[in-house]
Amino acid sequence: MSNPYVPLFILLALGFGFAALSVGTSLVVGPKRYNRAKAEAYECGIQPSPRAEGGGRVPIKYFLTAMLFIIFDIESIFLFPFAVAFDQLGLFALVEMVLFIITVFVAYAYVWKRGGLEWD
Amino acid sequence: MSAAVPAVFEAVKVDYAAIAPMLVVVGGALIGVLVEAVAPRSTRYGAQLVLTLATIAAALVALFVWAVPHKAVTLGQSLAIDGPALFLQATLLVFGLLGVLAMSERFGGKSADAFTPMGASSPGSPQEAAATRAGFATSEVFPLALFSLFGMLIFVAANDLITMFVALEVLSLPLYILTGLARRRRLLSQEASLKYFLLGAFSSAFFLFGAALLYGFSGSSDLKLIARAITTNSSQMNGLLLPGAILVLIGLLFKVGAVPFHSWTPDAYQGAPTPITGFMAAATKAAAFGAILRIAYVGLEVSRWDWRVGVGLIAAATMIVGAVLSVTQTDVKRLLAYSSVAHAGFILVGLLSFDGNGIAGVMFYLVAYGLATLAAFAIVAMIRQGGSEATHLSQWAGLGRKHPVVAGIFGLLLLAFAGIPLTSGFTSKFAVFAPAIHSGGTMGVLLVVIGVLASAVTAYVYFRIIVLMYFTQAPEDDVVALTPSVATTIVVTVGVLATLLLGIVPGLLLQLAQDASTFLL
Amino acid sequence: MSNAPGTGEAVLFWILGPLAVLGSLGLIFAKKAVHAALGMALTMIILGIFYIAQDAHFLGVIQVFVYTGAVMMLFLFVLMLVGVDSSDGLLETLKGQRLATAVLVLGLGGLLTAALGSVTYPEPAGVKSINEETGNVSAMAELIFGRYVWVFEVTSALLITAALGAMVLAHRERLGKGRNQRDWSKRRVLRGEYVAGLPAPGVYARHNAVDTPALLPDGTPTPLSVSRVLTARDQVTTPERYVEAEDRIAGQIEEDSSR
Repeated sequence: MSNPYVPLFILLALGFGFAALSVGTSLVVGPKRYNRAKAEAYECGIQPSPRAEGGGRVPIKYFLTAMLFIIFDIESIFLFPFAVAFDQLGLFALVEMVLFIITVFVAYAYVWKRGGLEWD
Repeated sequence: MSAAVPAVFEAVKVDYAAIAPMLVVVGGALIGVLVEAVAPRSTRYGAQLVLTLATIAAALVALFVWAVPHKAVTLGQSLAIDGPALFLQATLLVFGLLGVLAMSERFGGKSADAFTPMGASSPGSPQEAAATRAGFATSEVFPLALFSLFGMLIFVAANDLITMFVALEVLSLPLYILTGLARRRRLLSQEASLKYFLLGAFSSAFFLFGAALLYGFSGSSDLKLIARAITTNSSQMNGLLLPGAILVLIGLLFKVGAVPFHSWTPDAYQGAPTPITGFMAAATKAAAFGAILRIAYVGLEVSRWDWRVGVGLIAAATMIVGAVLSVTQTDVKRLLAYSSVAHAGFILVGLLSFDGNGIAGVMFYLVAYGLATLAAFAIVAMIRQGGSEATHLSQWAGLGRKHPVVAGIFGLLLLAFAGIPLTSGFTSKFAVFAPAIHSGGTMGVLLVVIGVLASAVTAYVYFRIIVLMYFTQAPEDDVVALTPSVATTIVVTVGVLATLLLGIVPGLLLQLAQDASTFLL
Repeated sequence: MSNAPGTGEAVLFWILGPLAVLGSLGLIFAKKAVHAALGMALTMIILGIFYIAQDAHFLGVIQVFVYTGAVMMLFLFVLMLVGVDSSDGLLETLKGQRLATAVLVLGLGGLLTAALGSVTYPEPAGVKSINEETGNVSAMAELIFGRYVWVFEVTSALLITAALGAMVLAHRERLGKGRNQRDWSKRRVLRGEYVAGLPAPGVYARHNAVDTPALLPDGTPTPLSVSRVLTARDQVTTPERYVEAEDRIAGQIEEDSSR
């Protein structure tokens, strides 16, 4: 196989094909009995509110979670090349990476201990 | 010419002695965060204060014991620990020490007086009041200040554009947060924080754009290699050099508050907690001028004829606008902010002389101005009316009669800002103007003329305040100067002593600055 | 080696390029913040595809991972904090500001275009040679852990500052101790109110959604069984139809048994 992406694309096509096939088949041959609940948007049992309070604002608490996500996202970005080139990099890079991870986990310890992850 | 990737990975050489002060500061900051995590609430303020002061003191010791005898370009050209870097790092550490002392002022309360007990509570909410009663404190300000100081230490030593950019962010990000944490007038403080953040991010974008163009021009982000590329590249690439140089300089001039890029200064200075304003005015200015010095004298020195006139125009505009607008101010903090804009212009005049004495003059000016500014803002924090800071000028009327010592000290500092002989303001202005006349050419002389005229205008403003304090009847009687603790007293004493000493015997520090004025390549 | 793109790449570019431009125009001109953010996400993803198509795998992965994943998510989060429905105020607070901005932007853009356009660029190096030698991810790793290792370590200070800032500015610490489940149950018993807990929502096992109030033995719905928030939002359904259905069934059963 000349291009390494060809199998990937085949897999992608298979995935899409399967989804399209199963949805399409049930659309054609499946029984159709509508009721009110089926016509509603799915929202965990509660009827979706037409106009959310305050224009759908969410509490600031979520921001902390988002920030933590970004911090560890950026950390994992550095882990990616580190892992790929691990064989060539040797001990020095390992020490540097461990230092980096420890520093970032200091932030995590702070957020955790101060109750930033608690939900009440 | 493309970035060379070695065939076999080689770890860079690290000169631990040269970077010891930075390691100490960041280590202290990390321990500070851990203290925030585990220490019980009641012990945090004391623990953080002791830890932060000990860290900065240890970093100063490390600087003099290990780093000074060990000048080096280390970490694969990332850092140049040379004369100017060490001089400014020592300066920044001293500013940090005094700044932290000023931040720790409690005026008899349970927690640091300038900072809100709970930054996340809405201003004026019952939650805020309850947090105050419960003795909450935002003791995170101390590790944040250390992180900012860490960024500044790197900033003045950064030898390539990428290191410089990351250092710029490390020093700015904690300051954006600190700006929004004032205890009183919190909406103003939060607005200041947002403005500072947005304009700071804007200036970072300028810096990055310029750095990318310079990288395109030279194929490297190293200042040394950029300088080499300027001499060797064919003129076909010059379309990248000038825009790159200008955009990078704009990014840095934002930080010192030079004139078309100064609009954040008054708002951020007014809204920030007063000790933070003092720290920002003194330390950020020193760090940013350190970086500008290195860019101008190491990276872009060869091409200076292309951008010198532009920066000269900026210097002129900075002096004129800073001086003229300070006349119209009615708030002490805003007035000092415009005064700091004008001072940035004076420093730029010295910087543009391209002369060893110019470098020494700039560094001397930064020390003198920083120490006086820290003391001045420490005094502003003491003047109160009904518990909140009395920053409106009308509230300062007649202060000299009620509190002659405090008003006298503030008057002395104002005289120094005005550049009256026998104060550090005079000697430092002389130190930047002399090299500009000597080796700055026609533009240097012109800038000095503008500088002297602008000084005269600012002197009028300062004298007006002194007249207001001493020769006006106080309309209200409840404006008082609170009795400071040891911490603030130290800050004010050091500021006043330095102002007098540097004014009367400037030789020692000037000599030190001159000895330290060569960049390592 | 020629750097000319192949047919596949050219087709990719001419399809996705205009879409990326559309996305960025949407970012500028969309009135609703959410639409602007989605336009930006589109542009970001397409840029990631372009990078990967040009064999810059590391850059492509970072683009999707950090920008489309993390930064866009933070954008949307902030939008959710200010309210999804919020849109730009179109009022000009400083007079003439918009015109001045337009002039300055066009001026700066013009100057930069003129300067950058005048440059004769050397043949681009491309990433092919690096890809053949070590692979560009490994080459990045060698730079990150070699020449730029100090910058890499310093970045962690930025991450910690971000966490500290988020906590200081957004985390409301509890004043005093909150009641846990045990405390609540003790309180109930001591007061003698609802010792067995509040009635659960739902009607005769026909519907157990939280918005359907329970029926008391006499057939009236009890407001105690639904959340206050739902009541305030006027989102509580009436149990009438279940009661009616129940009556109907009961009637049928009666009919059947009487027959």
